[in-house]
Amino acid sequence: MLNYNLQIAGYNIRIESDQDGPDLVPEERFHKNIIRSADYDVLIRVHHGHYIIPEEAERLFVAPYIIEAKDMKITTRDNFWSVYRYQSSLFICTNFPADKNKTAVLKFSLLMREWDLWIDGTGNSSDPLEYPLDGLILYYLTVINGDIMIHAAGVNIAGQGFLFSGISGKGKTTIATIFGDSGARIIHDDRLIIRNINSDYYMFNTPVRRDDSPDKSHLHRIFLIEHAQVNKISPLSGAKAVTNVIANCIQHNYSSDMIARFLGSVSILCSAIPVATLQFKPDRSVIDHLLEYV
Amino acid sequence: MDSLNSVVSRSPSVVTRKTGNEYVLVPVTDNIADMTSVYTLNETGTFIWELIDGEKNIGDIINALIKEYDTDPDTAKEDVLSFISKMKKYLVVK
Repeated sequence: MLNYNLQIAGYNIRIESDQDGPDLVPEERFHKNIIRSADYDVLIRVHHGHYIIPEEAERLFVAPYIIEAKDMKITTRDNFWSVYRYQSSLFICTNFPADKNKTAVLKFSLLMREWDLWIDGTGNSSDPLEYPLDGLILYYLTVINGDIMIHAAGVNIAGQGFLFSGISGKGKTTIATIFGDSGARIIHDDRLIIRNINSDYYMFNTPVRRDDSPDKSHLHRIFLIEHAQVNKISPLSGAKAVTNVIANCIQHNYSSDMIARFLGSVSILCSAIPVATLQFKPDRSVIDHLLEYV
Repeated sequence: MDSLNSVVSRSPSVVTRKTGNEYVLVPVTDNIADMTSVYTLNETGTFIWELIDGEKNIGDIINALIKEYDTDPDTAKEDVLSFISKMKKYLVVK
């Protein structure tokens, strides 16, 4: 393909192969997000080859490559992806766990709707949104729009949208499965984007796995989860609610301005949507406990 | 130990937001591995934080705490010095 549009979490992302660009082959997980559209929120022009960022560019942020195994986090590579700034442009330089020869540079700006992506080390065809670029591009769309990307499972049961947030191992998949087995609609079990649209909060899924279908739900409650022997819900408010929600959000805190905007978004969210901790037994009893509470 | 005459100011390496009577503090960082440090200040911490303005010295802050909470001077001094020690990464003490 030479171009296509993706609708993810309500963002319309147009991908175009430039004259020198590769054939665009989106992974299967994106297929259900492809839409017909002449418009876009952001246009990503894809080029083939190596792009050298300016020598004077300042490195703002770096992420190591970390794998998680049996409650352990192991850093296997110090520089997985980095963010650089030069003048008004930002650059993400990344490599790809699934293809050791492939590298990419995304040149973008939080003020512009047209971005450029150079992909190197592949043949004539490439998925322009291979991990980790998909999450990074979506993250910066949340930054631009004042939205929130969070490690969380989301379910909708009887019209109520519940978000269960926690880092790996806290029970997101477990609780999503318990609700799913009881007939609830699972929005996602790992990562969500929270958006305020016309004064209502929604949680959107994003394509992480091959069988993910685009979905969203109104958001009514936020629970910060952990496994326990008994079910217990404890409301949180004010700064404690904000701090605990922030701890589970995806954030690149290299800029005071970005942090201030993000803090504002989470504070407003926590003042509008009730937040509580949920210690839960991994069985159906948590559903009754939760429905009784709300 | 910091002198009571030392003037304390907030470092630009932290961003704060007041929510109700408490503060959320988020440090600026250059590494995703350091993303877990988010702080909440309680009422006393908030009171001290708001007095840190780059003009008042540590002695002034202790005296303000004594006045506000009717605390004995030793406890107030310990509270303020302990707070400054814990938060020193996000403060400039001169």
